[in-house]
Amino acid sequence: MVAGTGTDTIIDSELMQFAPLIILLPMLAFPVILFLGRVFNRNPFWKDTMKEGGIIALVVMASSLIISLLLIKDHLGGFASMKDSVDFLWLNSSVYESGNLTSISFGFGIYIDHITVMLLFVASFLCLLINIFSIGYMNTDPINDNRNHRFYAEFVLFCSGMLGMVLADSFLWLFIFWEIMGLCSYLLIGFYYEKPSAAYAAKKAFLTTRIGDVFLIIGLVMMWDMFGSLDYDVIFSAVEDETFMAGVSSSTLQWALGLMFIGAVGKSAQFPLHVWLPDAMEGPTPVSALIHAATMVNAGLYLVARMFPFFGSEYLQHDLVDLAFIIALIGGITAVMAAAIAFVQHDLKKVLAYSTMSQLAYIFTGLGCAMFLANTLDWQTDADAHYIVIVAFGAALFHLFNHAMAKGMLFMASGSVIHEVHHAHHHLHHHDDHHDDHGDHDEGHEEEFDAQSMDNMGGLASKMPLTATAMLVGSASIMGLPLIGGFWSKEGIIANAWRVALEDPRFFLPAMCVLVGAAMTGFYMSRMWLKTFAGKPKTEVAAHVGQTNTWIKIPLFVLTFVTLSAILFAGMGFTHWAPDSEYGLLSEKNLFDGIAYEMSHAFANGDTFFFILTYVAIAIGAVLGPGLALSLYGGSLAEGEKVKPWMKPIIRLNAWVYDRYNFDNQAIANSGLSRALENRLYFDHYYDMAMLKIVAGFSDKSAETDKNVVDGVIKKIETGTQSISKVVRSMTTGSARDYILMVAVGTLGIFFLLWGVA
Amino acid sequence: MSTVQNVEPFGDGFIAALCPELIIFAGLLALIIIPNIGKGTFRIPGTQTRVMWLFGGERFKITSNPKMPAWIATITLGAAFVQTILSFQDGVDRTAIVTESGTQLLLVNGFSRVFEMIFFGALTLAAFASMNRLEVKGIGPKLSTDDLYNNRRQADFYILMLTCGLGMSVVALAQDLFVLFIGLELASFSTYVLVAFYKESKVGTEAGMKYFIVGSVASGVGLYGLSMLYLWAGSLQFDVLAAQFVINGTDPLPLIGIGFVLVGFGFKVSAAPFHFAAPDAYAGASSPVAGILATASKAMGIIGLIRMLLIVASPEASEDGTVWLTLLGIISLVTMTWGNIAALGSTNPKRMLAYSSVAHAGYMLAAITAIGAWNWDDSLAGEPGEAAVAVLTAVIFHLVVLVAFKLGAFLVLSVLESDGDASRLSSLGGLAKREPFLAVAMFIFMISLAGVPPLAGFVSKLLVIMGIVKVAIGQMGAEIMAGGDYGLADVHWVWWLALAMVINSAISMFYYLRVGVVMFFEEPEEGRTGPLPAGWQVRFAILACLMATLFMGVASDQLLEICEVAAKSLNYSWN
Repeated sequence: MVAGTGTDTIIDSELMQFAPLIILLPMLAFPVILFLGRVFNRNPFWKDTMKEGGIIALVVMASSLIISLLLIKDHLGGFASMKDSVDFLWLNSSVYESGNLTSISFGFGIYIDHITVMLLFVASFLCLLINIFSIGYMNTDPINDNRNHRFYAEFVLFCSGMLGMVLADSFLWLFIFWEIMGLCSYLLIGFYYEKPSAAYAAKKAFLTTRIGDVFLIIGLVMMWDMFGSLDYDVIFSAVEDETFMAGVSSSTLQWALGLMFIGAVGKSAQFPLHVWLPDAMEGPTPVSALIHAATMVNAGLYLVARMFPFFGSEYLQHDLVDLAFIIALIGGITAVMAAAIAFVQHDLKKVLAYSTMSQLAYIFTGLGCAMFLANTLDWQTDADAHYIVIVAFGAALFHLFNHAMAKGMLFMASGSVIHEVHHAHHHLHHHDDHHDDHGDHDEGHEEEFDAQSMDNMGGLASKMPLTATAMLVGSASIMGLPLIGGFWSKEGIIANAWRVALEDPRFFLPAMCVLVGAAMTGFYMSRMWLKTFAGKPKTEVAAHVGQTNTWIKIPLFVLTFVTLSAILFAGMGFTHWAPDSEYGLLSEKNLFDGIAYEMSHAFANGDTFFFILTYVAIAIGAVLGPGLALSLYGGSLAEGEKVKPWMKPIIRLNAWVYDRYNFDNQAIANSGLSRALENRLYFDHYYDMAMLKIVAGFSDKSAETDKNVVDGVIKKIETGTQSISKVVRSMTTGSARDYILMVAVGTLGIFFLLWGVA
Repeated sequence: MSTVQNVEPFGDGFIAALCPELIIFAGLLALIIIPNIGKGTFRIPGTQTRVMWLFGGERFKITSNPKMPAWIATITLGAAFVQTILSFQDGVDRTAIVTESGTQLLLVNGFSRVFEMIFFGALTLAAFASMNRLEVKGIGPKLSTDDLYNNRRQADFYILMLTCGLGMSVVALAQDLFVLFIGLELASFSTYVLVAFYKESKVGTEAGMKYFIVGSVASGVGLYGLSMLYLWAGSLQFDVLAAQFVINGTDPLPLIGIGFVLVGFGFKVSAAPFHFAAPDAYAGASSPVAGILATASKAMGIIGLIRMLLIVASPEASEDGTVWLTLLGIISLVTMTWGNIAALGSTNPKRMLAYSSVAHAGYMLAAITAIGAWNWDDSLAGEPGEAAVAVLTAVIFHLVVLVAFKLGAFLVLSVLESDGDASRLSSLGGLAKREPFLAVAMFIFMISLAGVPPLAGFVSKLLVIMGIVKVAIGQMGAEIMAGGDYGLADVHWVWWLALAMVINSAISMFYYLRVGVVMFFEEPEEGRTGPLPAGWQVRFAILACLMATLFMGVASDQLLEICEVAAKSLNYSWN
């Protein structure tokens, strides 16, 4: 059965044998939680102590994180890949071989290299934090009572899908786990399936990503056709093999990779398959955090990052430039488009959703530029070129890291806000019958009040200090305020986009987009924070919001520090992260050298062009955009409200700018452009129309054909065989005499046949 | 290749060679004796002294336990089953049991051992599952006559199961027409009675009667054929007959004799047109017994056919002696088509399974035809024995895994029968809601019967079809690969049997899947919504069948090795 455990370990790690547990533990927890939940539903111990499965999930995710961390630690010794695989052979016997049938092999293996390590950490770390958050968020909301076990079961399966996708050793397994995630996103977005909008959003997310998946699978089949395998090992060594590559058409390969890229576009919600992401906010907030930070959307980025060896191959030099441009262009367009739509959103989570889209687009642009550099420069032999390529690639990956951490925190913080606003609303309106029925949604005022709308908030900075701080740090990281989180990686992406634009004028467009996008990011993120936390409470509800519970605070607290300490990561060489040990962690440089280097590189670049570019980017991203927001939104807090000292300067600055430079933006807000943005540029409208006209029309015709032609033939065959069956069965009369007669007839038949022959 | 080791009865190595049979024999004795152990006393004649001799009288509590016989039978059969499996561990010795004059009576080798494995395996599962079928009203002296009677006949039921197993294994071992016939009749008579065992039920009695009458006619014809062979060759020995066949196998007498033997075994495997009593018998018998008929009894018929056709009337002996090939081809085609078409309209799940069993018999006969064809036609022969071994391995594999999913299906019906009735398709209605485990198990058995990957049924069907096609294409395969141009006219006609199998499999999907529709989507019958009767034994047996069905599908290589060893040991000239 098991043909052998092929261990091709480049770095010897005894932990490799435990690596499958990272995937298996959550996967096995899925049926366990579901089963226990069904059995013990409403049991007080299950509900209060086990948190309806939340604790099981917590234990499992913590174990996955611990194993992941140990593995990562072992990997950091050097930057080669680790591999361990088990093959299972089906139809494996000499008997099959005699019939010219070769046995079918199903192998699963673990493949770890520098890209894996990054995503493995992001996924397992954030999954655990989101799990902690969920216990505070889901289990305290009466709507979810007695069905949280479903949430936790699907949650762990989702995490298992992401971890499996990251660790898998072939594109085939990547695809399998990719689809597991697709399924779980459907289930979780539609968690409140009794709400039509949630059911619709789930369907939309599933179908939209499915469009990408179809292309992905076509791309995979083409890959299989070219390389005869989908194993990373086989493919990545084949692209470095001169004789093999001589027989591969680079344009076909480019098409295959391009089709796979469409899959990534769907999964990572890029233009034009971005429509599902904002609707995905219908799921519970932990799900949004999970999809947007830890798992789903990173899958597409991971897939593109996995394509690096193709672009880096010596034998494909200059052949894949067009694809690199398309990746960067899609990123550029989405970055600006999503940011523009985020300008006018009133729903707290929707702003974050569009921000996710926009930031992912940055990473795509970064990857596209890195791919271009790898594909055009002679990076494998030339040390300077080498440096440029890995810095470009590392910047994109580092932005993935920063964005995941910051966005995870932002979503959890927003969840905390929504949760408390919702509770405050309940508290106000159900003051008398507070304990009677929490989930009564039939009453009118419930419908009117939107706990997610920023128009109902304001001035929360004093009421929820930790949440406000977390949100502030997260927003700063996304905006790229100097020294905080995403600054390092975003500067890298912008710089590299311009570096490429100087080489190839086509890239001028994406480079411009990311630069403009920086300003737009500054605006909408500031707007979101100010509308929520600064100014005076806009509703009575917002004035009564209280502080959140501990489960929710833990992840916010942890992530605030992770985001703030991005400089340390940068110093360790995160921005230089690429398949080479020279620039990696644990190189000769110590941490302080690294930080000093990063500082000087960012702020005092020797190259005049990049020196100017850096300050331009800082000026528009950290001054122009936020400044505009400061003058439009927020203002001083209500009388007597106190904020934590570190937020005071911002509130003061806001009040000062707001009072002095506030201007009336009604004209812009009511313009056609604004309306178009509010309607998400009519993408949904046109997609729906196209669906109705083309797909539904085609479906109707097919249904008709199926009913009349196909079913008709089948029905004919069925009635025909049934009547024959009737005749045949009627010969079994039930009388032993007749049976003997038949035996006799048979015997005589045999007799005469043999007699005649003999 | 080891040579035959001759052993006289009770000589050296006798016990090792016949260990499974001896276990069964010991179990039979235990089944007869143990329920009679009690506080009986014996008066010494002429005195008033009574001596305790533990036989008769008031039974002890443990010996009067009505479940006792079931356990004895299960343990006995299980031990025999384990013994046969263990004997494969370090290769089966070829051992012949001979008379003083040196005549071979029984031959133990891989081939017979694997069939013993099938028989004992099926019987163990059936015996174990039957514990929940026979009603037990309690233990103790205060029972009514009816209850006492019910308790008593528990032993009878399991005695019949053991004799059935003993008879079957004798058929598997026989090297002599007379021994073969004795084994065949021992097994047949046991099954006749088992079918009619519930004599309170009219259907069962009628079915048993019909099965007996038609069976005796078939047996009579078969015996007539055997006597014709004896008349012609003057011997009952297989090897003597085979040698004679080489010299003058074209005589009408042996040919007609073989033809008549075909009738006798044709009834056992339920080949058309001798299959008519089978649906009645399956429907009338209790489900575990029907399961035995469909698996063990059928395997016995197949081994008889293989021995008679491939050893005695070996086609390689003479070219004209192969007329039975055509005959068998026609029978197999008619059988599989008939079975499938009749099953299509069947509304009784047991009859449906009976017809599906007929169809599977057709597939097996097609495979045997292909083995014959390979031996017969010189132009087809590739590597000596290779194709024949491949097909024979497939046949054996099919018979082994059939125990898992055919018997399993009958056991699920057995649970429903305890609930009242399983004679309508609608009795299965809503099973998914009543007991999901049974519904899922039944569904997997059904799709395995239909041959859906990756289940055991798929592997066995694939192997059979692949083997037949290989035989039909023969040497052409390599030449086609090398660019040779061949059409359908060039392949041997057994190729069409493989095609017929494929078409028949497609037809069979309809009635197999319909069971799933009824179980999962239709409502239970009126008044049958509650939980099903308890009984862990039958569920355990179903679980075992289910695991085997799944496991043999994905990890078939070990079992296939055993089957290959067995296939190679049928005819040593093949290597």
